[in-house]
Amino acid sequence: MARIIVITSGKGGVGKTTTTANLGMALAKRRRKVVVVDADFGLRNLDLLLGLENRVVYTAVEVLAGQCRLEQALVKDKRFNNLALLPAAQNRTKEAVTPDQMKQLVNALARVYEYILIDCPAGIEMGFQNAIAAAKEAVIVTTPEISAVRDADRVIGLLEANNVKQIQLLINRIKPAMVQANDMMSVADVQEILAVKLLGVIPDDEKVIVSTNKGEPLVLSETPSQAGTAFDNVVRRLEGEPVPFMDLTVRDEGLLSRLRRILSNRA
Amino acid sequence: MTSDTSSISTPSDPPEASSTSSEPPMDLSLPSSSPSEPTSDARPNLIDIPENLQVRLKPEGDKLLLILPPDAEQTKSPIGFSWNEVWQQFKQQLSARERFWQPNSAVYLMVGDRLLDNRQLQAIADELSDLQLQLRWVYTSRRQTAVVAATAGYSVEQQTAAAPIAKPTTAAPSMEEPLYVQMTLRSGTEIRHNGTVVVLGDLNPGSSVIAAGDILVWGRLRGVAHAGCKGDSRCLILALQLEPTQIRIADFVARAPETPPAHYHPEVAYVSPKRTIRIARASDFQRPEWENQA
Repeated sequence: MARIIVITSGKGGVGKTTTTANLGMALAKRRRKVVVVDADFGLRNLDLLLGLENRVVYTAVEVLAGQCRLEQALVKDKRFNNLALLPAAQNRTKEAVTPDQMKQLVNALARVYEYILIDCPAGIEMGFQNAIAAAKEAVIVTTPEISAVRDADRVIGLLEANNVKQIQLLINRIKPAMVQANDMMSVADVQEILAVKLLGVIPDDEKVIVSTNKGEPLVLSETPSQAGTAFDNVVRRLEGEPVPFMDLTVRDEGLLSRLRRILSNRA
Repeated sequence: MTSDTSSISTPSDPPEASSTSSEPPMDLSLPSSSPSEPTSDARPNLIDIPENLQVRLKPEGDKLLLILPPDAEQTKSPIGFSWNEVWQQFKQQLSARERFWQPNSAVYLMVGDRLLDNRQLQAIADELSDLQLQLRWVYTSRRQTAVVAATAGYSVEQQTAAAPIAKPTTAAPSMEEPLYVQMTLRSGTEIRHNGTVVVLGDLNPGSSVIAAGDILVWGRLRGVAHAGCKGDSRCLILALQLEPTQIRIADFVARAPETPPAHYHPEVAYVSPKRTIRIARASDFQRPEWENQA
């Protein structure tokens, strides 16, 4: 049985596409047959993050219109040929396809691939409805901000109402130093509101920006990065391996200042 | 915190005072969408809960009534419910109240003046049959919907548009049976009920419960709760952990203090004889005296 996972958030700019790209690539590294589906019609980005932009010939809309076969639209990754991308049409809008059509597409893919990751657009309108139509599981991406958490909460409610019951949480772009200074919501704060299973915590990392611009997901990088390792861990957890959560406490802190902090927190 | 302390500031003035001041005395942010008429008043409008403001599932004897809200074009209000929204609400209601009906009960679908096409009707029937409920009757005032339902093999009763579907509420202003909801109300979820509401679960920020009676939350109340929305200021709001965005009882408003307390206890919100909303620990709470005289 293929696992059909939608990556969604409600709010924009929290890292859905980055997450999709990295999870897809990390799964491919583990020799899984993976297809990543860009459901963001009209504002497609996933091909950029994977560095596959210049290989896109056909898109999902052409497949649905019968202008090409599904296999023709799939873009094989240049590094791992067990990873494929189904690009979204850039010249159309979210209303171009219906939830039923998305279901058809994804179910066709499910016969061939082990993992289908669907990159959901921001918002809860047609694009969202399309993206979740075929999904059996969801990964909710949120950042530790009150607005992102509120939107994530709404989206979880909508997913539950649409029979996507297996929902896991990925907290992105956390800054451990700010959390320790009590300037940012902590993982526990976010979990308290959303009350869904935690799949992973990705620390804020400037390398993400570099990798995005290069079209090379972080998990491929030779030099290990914190965010890249965190994505690798997320994939291992997705596959059912118990992986302890990364220690994200700030280390370059002397014993004295740590003592002082503990004392001041008590007061 | 001792007994009868207010951990919530109460910006609403007594009726006489507030009618003259358009600005609330404190930095209260008003609910921006007043339900009916736009007023500059700081007090919430009393809300009448019509039968059809949201999808409702109502057990009646051995049958179950499923009532759909009217179509956007049919209502006088410019904002009706699209099929998508109706569907969301329907699913939410089903999952929140799963334990409340016998398997194999017959479902009576009250469509009202909403247009339902074949697929929508089928979707409802499928969803119901997943829970071992059987769609039997369809009540509609639209010919087109009646034809669709009859073709699909359901018993149909077509009514004239003017005839209200559920009579009792128009005749009796009294409250309905309490509504028991077992779910976490996430942002965007709203429950309206013409009676008392019991929630087993949390009210997350961005959710709301609007009830003509009391509101009891066995969990955290972080959204908006409006008890006694038809004007009964004797109604109460009770929660294990009361940290609401805003609470309203009848036409009184209160919001949470800027600095949240360090510890939470089960608390009760009520309207005091001084006509303000006050909060008391559940263990210390006594009904105000004026209520006993009534």
